[in-house]
Amino acid sequence: MSAVMNKPGKGSQNLKVNSAEMRVEGVSKSYGIAHLRENVVHNASFVIEKSKLTVMIGPSGCGKSTLIRLLAGFDKPDSGTVTIDGKPVKGPDRDRLVVFQESALFPWMNTYDNIMYGPRARGEVDDETKALAEFLLDKVGLTQFRNKFPSQLSGGMQRRAELARAMINFPRVMILDEPFRGLDAMTKELMWEYYAGLYEESRRTNFFVTTDIDEAIFLADRLLIMTNIPTQVRAVLEVDLPRPRNLKELLESDRANEIKMEALGILHEEAMKSFSSGSAAASDFIEAYSKRVKKKG
Amino acid sequence: MTTDNSKTGVGQGLDQAAKAALLRETMPFKTVPDATLRRIADLAKEETLPAGTRLYNEGDRADDLFVIASGKIEHALGPEAEASKLVKMVKRGDVIGWAALLSTKQRRLATTVAEADTQILRINAQKLRDLFQNDQQTGDMVMSRFATMIKEDYTLPDWLAKTRSIGEGTVARSEAEVPVSESRLALLGYRLGLWVKSPKPYLMITGFTAVLLFWHFSVDVFEWPRFRNMPGLVEVITEWLSRDPIYGLSVWTPEYYTHIIVSIRRVFIAFLLATALGVTLGLFMGWSKGVREFVFPVFETLRPVPILAWVPLAIIIFFHPESTVIFLTFLASFYATALNTMLGVDSIDESYSRAASCLGANKWQVFRHVIVPGALPFIFTGLQISVGVAWFSLVAAEMVSGEFGLGFVINTSYTMVKYPTIVIGMITLGAVGYTTSAMVRMLGDHLMQWRVRELAMGGR
Repeated sequence: MSAVMNKPGKGSQNLKVNSAEMRVEGVSKSYGIAHLRENVVHNASFVIEKSKLTVMIGPSGCGKSTLIRLLAGFDKPDSGTVTIDGKPVKGPDRDRLVVFQESALFPWMNTYDNIMYGPRARGEVDDETKALAEFLLDKVGLTQFRNKFPSQLSGGMQRRAELARAMINFPRVMILDEPFRGLDAMTKELMWEYYAGLYEESRRTNFFVTTDIDEAIFLADRLLIMTNIPTQVRAVLEVDLPRPRNLKELLESDRANEIKMEALGILHEEAMKSFSSGSAAASDFIEAYSKRVKKKG
Repeated sequence: MTTDNSKTGVGQGLDQAAKAALLRETMPFKTVPDATLRRIADLAKEETLPAGTRLYNEGDRADDLFVIASGKIEHALGPEAEASKLVKMVKRGDVIGWAALLSTKQRRLATTVAEADTQILRINAQKLRDLFQNDQQTGDMVMSRFATMIKEDYTLPDWLAKTRSIGEGTVARSEAEVPVSESRLALLGYRLGLWVKSPKPYLMITGFTAVLLFWHFSVDVFEWPRFRNMPGLVEVITEWLSRDPIYGLSVWTPEYYTHIIVSIRRVFIAFLLATALGVTLGLFMGWSKGVREFVFPVFETLRPVPILAWVPLAIIIFFHPESTVIFLTFLASFYATALNTMLGVDSIDESYSRAASCLGANKWQVFRHVIVPGALPFIFTGLQISVGVAWFSLVAAEMVSGEFGLGFVINTSYTMVKYPTIVIGMITLGAVGYTTSAMVRMLGDHLMQWRVRELAMGGR
């Protein structure tokens, strides 16, 4: 699958790629054995549209990470199909790169070596790739930190390094699993703007998973709201806010708030359901939710 | 340029000798030869800043560096400096404004304001560099001491790390020639200085002294009955250092070194074998479920069998005493290394292998690029244990079979009632063993720079 990739011609100033569409159809996945077996994903179907930023949001512990493993090809669904441009996903491939929840930068490699890892592993290092690495280092503001090991970078820098490490491979779909979780509020908001900027430049297909509604609305073209375990898509909202977005405008935008309230309403219902089934995560969510509603009111 | 030059008055009173003495107190100039120091002192202009004076702002052009003679200055770094501590108070003997010395980025990194009335020496960086041009050796030394000083405060961004090779900018030398060894030596010296100033060496000496005193008092002074036959501290030391030892073994007898070398050779061979086989086996046990299920039960069954229990079989199998000893020494090390390596592989977060395979690495590449480096910290912990284990199994082995070696010395001295020699053998064994495990640790630190930095960061 990785045979013909679509590198831009020259100058590497162009991050545009030939994006792909991914389809998840009737996918189910369960873990555990015998009576402990739990249906994590049940008959889930959705489309990650080409050249759009699709954000998936759901109560925590709702099986989003399982879906990511299926999309990335680390796991196989029990039933149903996952396809990329119509071809079934067989295993991990550089056309679908995952940016993980916890930093998966190799701690034993410096920033530059981490970014170059993909091309080196595939034996595709040429002058163009090197130039691209420089370009990306600059783009993510890490030129001066090229020789630093991940442990010497701040949380935000690590996330940016990881984005660069993914982008150098021209993935056709980028899959991000709560990548900004654990960053402090300020850094997080900066990273949103930053990441949205990268997306707007490349218009690559992006699939972004989060539990943070503000993050979701700031970033999304389409918002998938998930149900509780077993996971299904509960609703799809089109986030038709103009780009580039900025946080302040978004806070003042009626349309943004409207979408947010709608999404929260659905999420609240889901959270209530899992609350009644005794999930600890859900009670946190409800608490947070009621605070937000009060603030708005 | 600095902002409030007008407010700074030119003080008087410090003569060349006083300035030189002040420079001598600073970290970068501490080791400069007297003649050069006097010339630097001539460059230094004394100034007095009333409290509240701003010496320079972040982003200003940097032309001079400053040495504080008295008073204090608040030194606030900009956030981009990546320092461990952004605001600090500098006082007598501190040097600030070293950004002026950088060949690349001569901008102020901090904003400095006099907290109290402060006396400073202003040294023009260009003139200082010119001076070093004529005295390259001193220049390199001062620069490397600057680098060390700066390093204390910062996680060096790259452009800052270049101060190290500033010698190439100021002193006309090619980069290849920049004396890495010299700056390393300076760094080593500095670390040694820090170590001497820290409580560590004194605690260490106290520890040893306590043990030796206990020994001395229990045997020679109080003559406790249990210790009656034990050789005393004085007796052992006298014997150890004697040119004509009563029991035939001291630092002056060649046999002493024969025993040490024979033992080291055995441990070395056994340790190499144990490392080669143990690491390989451990990696594969950790990496492949199949290999683990095949090997691990056997491994765990054999592991609790003590070395001494292996002696009869080892003698039967190997016959030759040397091989017997090496085999016995090897065995325990091998277990320690293999087990730790396997645990090391287990400890690697799965997301690293996933990331690698995502990025296009095949199985073998994942093994080489993720499994091996990821397990390295555990492997080296294992090797340190394994070297220690090798020494004590060696002694057990040498006691049973062998003609030379420290274990052999201890054992035969016992049967021949040469008690001081036993203790000499024991102390020597301890010292050699300590050295070897320190060497393994240093090798590990060298191979795992990333780890060293990670651990250092942990202290932040």
